Amino acid sequence: MKRPWNVCLSLYRRLANAYPHEFRMVYGEDLDRLGEDAVPEAWRRYGFVGLLRLLADVAVRLPVEYFGEIRQDVVYALRVLARSPGFAAVGVLSLAIGIGMCSVVLCGSNAMLGPLPGAHDPAALVTPRRHVSYPYFEHYRDQQRIAGAATAFLVSVPFAVAPSGDRNARTERFYGHLVSPEYFSTVGVTPAAGRFFSSETEKPGMAPVVVVSDRFWRTYLNSDPEAVGRPLRLNRQLATIVGIAPQGFLGMWPWNPADLFVPVTCGSSVAPELGDDALHRRDLEMFSMVLRLPHGMTIPAAEAALDAVTRALDRQLPDPDRDRDRPSRQLGLIPAGTIMFVTPEARAFVTSFNFMLWAMVLSLLCANLANLLLARGSHRRREIAVRLSLGASRARLVRQLLTESILLSLAGGLAGIVLAYWIAHAMSSLPMPSQTPLRMDLRPDFRVLAFTLAVSFATGVVFGLAPALSAVRTNIGAVLKEGAQAAPRGYRRFSLRNLFVVSQVAASLMLLLATGFMVTGYQHTTRLDPGFDTANLSLFSIDPLRDGYSAERSEALFSKLPDELSRVSGVRAVALAGGVPFSNLAASQANTVVAASTGEGDSRQVWRGVFRERIGANYFATLGVRLVGGHEFDRRDQQSELPPGTAAPAVINQTAARALFRAENPIGRRIQEEGATYTVVGVTHDVRSGFFAPRPVATVFLPLTAGWFVRSRAPRATVLVRGTAGAAALTAVRDTMASLHPDLTVFNVQTMRENLDRMNSFIQWSSAVYAVLGLFALLLACVGLGGVTAYAVVQRRKEIGIRMALGAGSGQVRRLVLREGAALIAAGSLLGFACAFAIARGASSLTAQLASVFETRAGDPLLVIGAPMLLATLALLACYLPARRATRIDPVAALREQ
Amino acid sequence: MIVSIDPRSFLPLHTNWFHILLSLVGSEQHGYGIMQEVLERTGGTVRLWPATLYGSLKRLIGGGLIEESEERPAPELDDARRRYYKLTRLGRRVLDLECERLEEMVRLAHKKRKQEAFG
Repeated sequence: MKRPWNVCLSLYRRLANAYPHEFRMVYGEDLDRLGEDAVPEAWRRYGFVGLLRLLADVAVRLPVEYFGEIRQDVVYALRVLARSPGFAAVGVLSLAIGIGMCSVVLCGSNAMLGPLPGAHDPAALVTPRRHVSYPYFEHYRDQQRIAGAATAFLVSVPFAVAPSGDRNARTERFYGHLVSPEYFSTVGVTPAAGRFFSSETEKPGMAPVVVVSDRFWRTYLNSDPEAVGRPLRLNRQLATIVGIAPQGFLGMWPWNPADLFVPVTCGSSVAPELGDDALHRRDLEMFSMVLRLPHGMTIPAAEAALDAVTRALDRQLPDPDRDRDRPSRQLGLIPAGTIMFVTPEARAFVTSFNFMLWAMVLSLLCANLANLLLARGSHRRREIAVRLSLGASRARLVRQLLTESILLSLAGGLAGIVLAYWIAHAMSSLPMPSQTPLRMDLRPDFRVLAFTLAVSFATGVVFGLAPALSAVRTNIGAVLKEGAQAAPRGYRRFSLRNLFVVSQVAASLMLLLATGFMVTGYQHTTRLDPGFDTANLSLFSIDPLRDGYSAERSEALFSKLPDELSRVSGVRAVALAGGVPFSNLAASQANTVVAASTGEGDSRQVWRGVFRERIGANYFATLGVRLVGGHEFDRRDQQSELPPGTAAPAVINQTAARALFRAENPIGRRIQEEGATYTVVGVTHDVRSGFFAPRPVATVFLPLTAGWFVRSRAPRATVLVRGTAGAAALTAVRDTMASLHPDLTVFNVQTMRENLDRMNSFIQWSSAVYAVLGLFALLLACVGLGGVTAYAVVQRRKEIGIRMALGAGSGQVRRLVLREGAALIAAGSLLGFACAFAIARGASSLTAQLASVFETRAGDPLLVIGAPMLLATLALLACYLPARRATRIDPVAALREQ
Repeated sequence: MIVSIDPRSFLPLHTNWFHILLSLVGSEQHGYGIMQEVLERTGGTVRLWPATLYGSLKRLIGGGLIEESEERPAPELDDARRRYYKLTRLGRRVLDLECERLEEMVRLAHKKRKQEAFG
């Protein structure tokens, strides 16, 4: 029975050989020999069991020994890092900022493009690019083969909410969705309490019902356990709460959160948006639609099938107007199951730009870390040589150095997560530039955190490995003889290190330019310089429609309110407006089509993409904007009924005048908008209108009449109040409103300055984020360059010593050191410049919005020349400090060291 | 700098460590010798397998309880390839304290038993 014994011995030897190098150095031979003695003895005494126990012992101790060494490495690494706090601080801080930024960028993407919370299988949800009419929706819905389920709804529908008791109680304003009964079943949400809607329970003419969000239930209803079944007043009408939505579900597009879900069957008394027989008119294309595609149905197939349905429906009811004005009747489906409603193009832009930014920051970070570690490795070559000569294995030393870099990167990663939380928290509490409350939940989620930690770990391993390998490839004898200054093997001008520096400068410049483009571009295109005095100008909103006012009462209110408020002490002027001035969020809202007759016959100038604003009498006088020609609206223009045969007046801005009438005088000319004809009575200066519009947009101001307000079911009317300096006009106005119109809710009360600040704050914040990124790039580049130059000075100590001994002046030595740094900076700058422009070009091709930002900034000399100059100056300064140290080298001492 | 280590910080002593220290009382031993002595002394109930033995020796040296011996036995008995270990003063003190501790434990157990017998 010699066989098991031999096998056991051979296994034993293998396992014993796998023990850590240092353990084997001391106990290896003894362990082997003891094994040789113990194997036959164990066999003799205990048989198989003995051999197994012997093997188990040597196998179990193996990881224990390794773990012991790793623990030693960690303790040693912590001690080493504590001994050089500067290096540790720079490393951890730069990693923290970089990783924090990266995870915020990723969270930003997630916040917009993440799956819809609370929905079942959100990937199967699609939405058409345009709105549809309700009758068309019903036909689409009935195509079970194409759409497994479908719903139509209106978003951001305002509701004046009051408790059920008092009919004239003060209302509060909430936003909701007006939904078809299939809404919740299509999205795939189950109620937290009560029931949701269905086509069986929701029929036209039935008592109004409402489903409330969890948030609404907690705040407005004080978490009332009996809430289901309770009545609530919505726009003065009673509606019964039938269900509560699950926590976190704020409607199809939580970017525009909904607290109330009201079925479209409730009728226009609850939701004025449904007036004009909106559910039966094929021409009112105002509903958003979401379809749930059945399993196996692709988007193109669904599109083709829906187009066939659309064509069939169009044929049933031909409408020449519709066909003329809409070039495409295709629905064009896009994925809808994300938090923010994004087109594939926008999604591509957001993900690619964020990814680019992320990759740049990360590469910069890695280059910097590699540089720091390389330079540090070179400083520690003597220590490494001593340890090698004392018998430490190279693998062990590599592991030791790796442990240090991993510890560093993990510490940076953890600090980065803390920073990310902080930035995200600060960003999510930002005031947003919109009337509809936008909420951003930017907190990093678990996946982002895991990814960040993985990246920091990988950074530590990858960028700790190269310097560690380079450090242990040391010629021990030379290092011990010459000290730390001995040139490492492979030191040459075009080394890996220099490559890192060049790429670091390039990445820094790229980031600096890209962020510079963004910051100055944002500032340039969005700075809200209204062109009028914002001091003592206040505004608030009212909504007589949803506060239960009839058309006649609204008419009376609109005609007398400016007078009533003008009489309040401290008030100089009052005007009404449809919306808040300068609140148009995006250029996409400039979608009004205006036509101007250019003479006799059919010839007319058609201009698309015009902003349309509704304003009352005295609007420009209240704002303090002068007219270029003509006059603005007066009280008579605010009347809904005009004498027959007269056209309503309109005021246009200069851009609109140029677009529609070229050089001709527009005063007295006719324009058509949505079938109505207006006479131009005044022309204003180009006041910036719109938030993201880089250039003034053609704007047509039409009179705000109560008739229009009721007919269009506008979500609000805004009252502008210009007070005298020093008077608390707004408080007095609110008191007057409360006493004269107690049943009218006043909301969105703010000063014009607050309003502008709120809009600007978002811009300033995003600019600040980009500016911090840019500064971070600058700082990292300087740290990296300084480190590498300092390292080069140490390397060339002997050479510098000899040069100085031979009579070289300090200026010559400085130049010598700076020359190399300058060459690296120049090479990096060129590369960075080329990449930055390539990126700007690439990003511009993705979205028109970015193109306009880059377009206006790419020729900005301050940026194009300033950024590289700033980087080069700071980088040269970073090189200068070690260069100056080089001139202080004592030639005698430097030579004696040899 | 000499750092005085409190011998009590090692108590209670790990069984393997106790047996190794006990084997080194009065004589220096190599690994195999320690293994054999422990086996014989305990009548085969405690066996220090090789990896456990050398892992413990490493930690005992690290703790300053034993050290490698410079002295070698008589040439006819010496195996030049083997390392010999001996107790340090600290190791001796730790062993004494452990013995006292064990004695105290045994004394307490006896006392309890007597109380049970009479009570």
